[in-house]
Amino acid sequence: METDGTAPGYLESRKLVKRWSGPWPALANTLLLAILFYATWWIFQDPRGIMRLYTPYVGYMYCRWLLIILIWVAYIFDFWPFRRGWIGRTHPVVKGLVLTAFSVAVMLLIIEGFFMRVLGDYGISYMSPDRLEAMGITRFYALEYATEAIMMFAVIASWLSPAWVVAVENAPWGKLPQPTRGVTIMLVTFLFSTIVYFLTMHSHMAILFYPWQQYTAITPGYWETFANTVSGNFHIGWIMCCTVTVWLYETIWERYPFNLIQTDWLRRLTAFFGIIAIAVALCFFLYYTQDLVWGETIRGTKRLMAPDWRWLHVGEMAIFWLVPMLFLNFYCGNWPTRFSRPVNVLLRTFITIAAAIVLYVVYYKTAHLFLGVQKGFSHPQQFPMIPTIWLINIMLINMWFMDGWPGWKAVPKTTEELAASHQEIVARDVKWSPALGVGLAVGVVGGVAIYVLVVAVLPWLGQMVTIIEGST
Amino acid sequence: MSEEKTTSRRDFVMGAATGVGVGAIGAMGLYSYTPAAYRRFAKAPRGNREEFGAVRRVRVTNISETSWFDNGMLMGDIMAAGGLLVNQYTIGWPPFGNGKGIAKGSFESGLESIRKMIPGDLDEAWALQTKLGVHPENPGGFSCLIEVESLDGTIHKYLLDSGWSFDWMDKAFKREKIDQMLAAHDIEALFLSHEHWDHFWGLPVTLKYDNRIPIYVHSGYYKEGLQYIGASGHKGKLVIQDKPIEKVIPGMVVIKYDVPIINRVFGETSLAFNIKDKGLVSISGCNHQGILQCTAYMRNNLKYDNNKFYGIYGGLHISPFEDWDPKYDDLVIALRQYEFEKIGCNHCTGVITAHKFVERGYPVVKGTARFRSKTPDYLGNGDTIEF
Repeated sequence: METDGTAPGYLESRKLVKRWSGPWPALANTLLLAILFYATWWIFQDPRGIMRLYTPYVGYMYCRWLLIILIWVAYIFDFWPFRRGWIGRTHPVVKGLVLTAFSVAVMLLIIEGFFMRVLGDYGISYMSPDRLEAMGITRFYALEYATEAIMMFAVIASWLSPAWVVAVENAPWGKLPQPTRGVTIMLVTFLFSTIVYFLTMHSHMAILFYPWQQYTAITPGYWETFANTVSGNFHIGWIMCCTVTVWLYETIWERYPFNLIQTDWLRRLTAFFGIIAIAVALCFFLYYTQDLVWGETIRGTKRLMAPDWRWLHVGEMAIFWLVPMLFLNFYCGNWPTRFSRPVNVLLRTFITIAAAIVLYVVYYKTAHLFLGVQKGFSHPQQFPMIPTIWLINIMLINMWFMDGWPGWKAVPKTTEELAASHQEIVARDVKWSPALGVGLAVGVVGGVAIYVLVVAVLPWLGQMVTIIEGST
Repeated sequence: MSEEKTTSRRDFVMGAATGVGVGAIGAMGLYSYTPAAYRRFAKAPRGNREEFGAVRRVRVTNISETSWFDNGMLMGDIMAAGGLLVNQYTIGWPPFGNGKGIAKGSFESGLESIRKMIPGDLDEAWALQTKLGVHPENPGGFSCLIEVESLDGTIHKYLLDSGWSFDWMDKAFKREKIDQMLAAHDIEALFLSHEHWDHFWGLPVTLKYDNRIPIYVHSGYYKEGLQYIGASGHKGKLVIQDKPIEKVIPGMVVIKYDVPIINRVFGETSLAFNIKDKGLVSISGCNHQGILQCTAYMRNNLKYDNNKFYGIYGGLHISPFEDWDPKYDDLVIALRQYEFEKIGCNHCTGVITAHKFVERGYPVVKGTARFRSKTPDYLGNGDTIEF
């Protein structure tokens, strides 16, 4: 059952070719995504639908864990235990159904088995809805608390698992055969996720209960003064930005600029910590933009003006960016591609930011009309991360499990194409020169100027533009 | 030479494109969340605060703060119906039950079953709904009587909210003699703070005794809510508040907050009073907007005596289902700096919150835990508070 660790992974070895010329493949797939999204949303999540998992944490937990499992199946396990031959010859629709069913089964095993039964019954009581209920908490909140904790594991893992593949390039286990490599990386990232969980979310969970569980966790969390809240939402903000930055780096940035570093260990370390640095910068900026638009937070108040919600909204804003990022990469051939890599990267960044702003506005103006969610920005049960990640899950299933069917089909890459794709991991297309240095300096000034301009304009924009009447 | 120039230009552009990213991300990280970035906020003006007169005193009688009697039952129903976002009219609770069970209720079918009985025969209407509705033993309701003494000594009486269960509210009204006040048209208006079941669905009980009473509602009421007001037999003036601040009498205003609320409700209104020589008092149904948000808004938009926020009354909507979230601790911690002289809380404030307030030494007015109220740590049914 083991597979060769030196051969390229399935996703790396295939090339997706359009079935039709022009915009038809993208349009066909967009239509398929829309149908699948709305049908599955209605069946599983919609508060007016069939299973109504959007409570919100129950649905959110499943949504986040499915994302992790998809990443594990495609990126970390390279589709093991499914054979490469089967992956290559099976019809995309059949493959999509089988791999999705497999992912869901693994997800349920991990959630219901490992977290709720093993951890919840024998280790951490707040992971078990039954134990919480037995201690007097209403069933609804027992489920919400437990699923919130389990969901947070997934939030952290959805940053660390792909980061290990994308930034650390699977090192030092990249050449191991499957499933050894997959199991090793899964366990390592799971271990790191556990450590990060205890450092970020355990205190949050401990003060959910009265009195504060001060003998089992630091209460309140060490971040209280810095973040102006005792809520773990502060961590959700920067961790979500880490997740988004990993995919930003992997997709529209084509691993630029860290892939210019030729020394393997230095490139991997720089990429891993560089992603965190970029994410923290993004997190602080998105928080600040909210303060500029809506005014400074009032600690202790609710919703729009609350620091805890603003940190959460940082993550939500970042996810709104991830959707067009993936769409551009998957369905638009990572357009534009005609310029040099840095220019392409910059243009894609601007394009996806603009698209994210449009998506953000459209979502808040219309989501309550068709998703069954609450009108407004900051309702405690308004979690735009659920529908956006639900959509992302479907996009990943479509591209990873179904080879982009119906608009695309997979063909094996030639040796030359495989070598070219290696250029993405270690690039040599941008080299140091005096002109590049001058351009860099001018660009830095330009970047700072753009920042200053945005910061200057946002308060005015906040006064002039009303997305939702009352802006709550 | 020309090729060199092209290369050089290309390198410059690549450098510039990279630099834009480096500069922007660097500025985002190094400036955005620093004290320097927040200096601009320190100069923010307090706003054009509105003079609205003053009153001599305000007295609140808690008619009922027990909106439901069993949290587990209420949350079980909400969970079974699909969670906190489902439309409240579809859950199947009385008076909108239709006999089909949880999550299968509808406004139209529920109302149709009792239309001819409200507001005249509420006993029969409720008896029918105990058969058709889900868990009819659980509803109670929120309502309070507000007596305002103007500077000239005139006493004005108002009702805030009309509860939920017809049966419970009728008994509570009789206990506090609200029925007689309504029948005598002593109560000048009914303020419906928001559209939720436990504040609004008991409307026919008020209208049974005075169907001409002026009613104030938030403009976020859904069409079902507005239809229910009419169907309950209301013949008086209906004020659908669009303005952020609506004056009622000198020293008393209604403030509108556009806030999304669970179970598909939008918007809440609160009352504010300027008590002569004391300061501002806020009275709310649930404070879904957040008590501190409410306080900040009033502080920025109203002029009041002593420049002091004197007191609050009402549900503070912190742990209504005895649930908790660390953000509520932010409130418990931050409340001290607001220096309220009197805190009258109950209902959706939650027992845990009241305990935490008392532990921190806040001036919470205690109650007597009568008529099914759960704790003496806050004002219970039949208790009063005076500002």
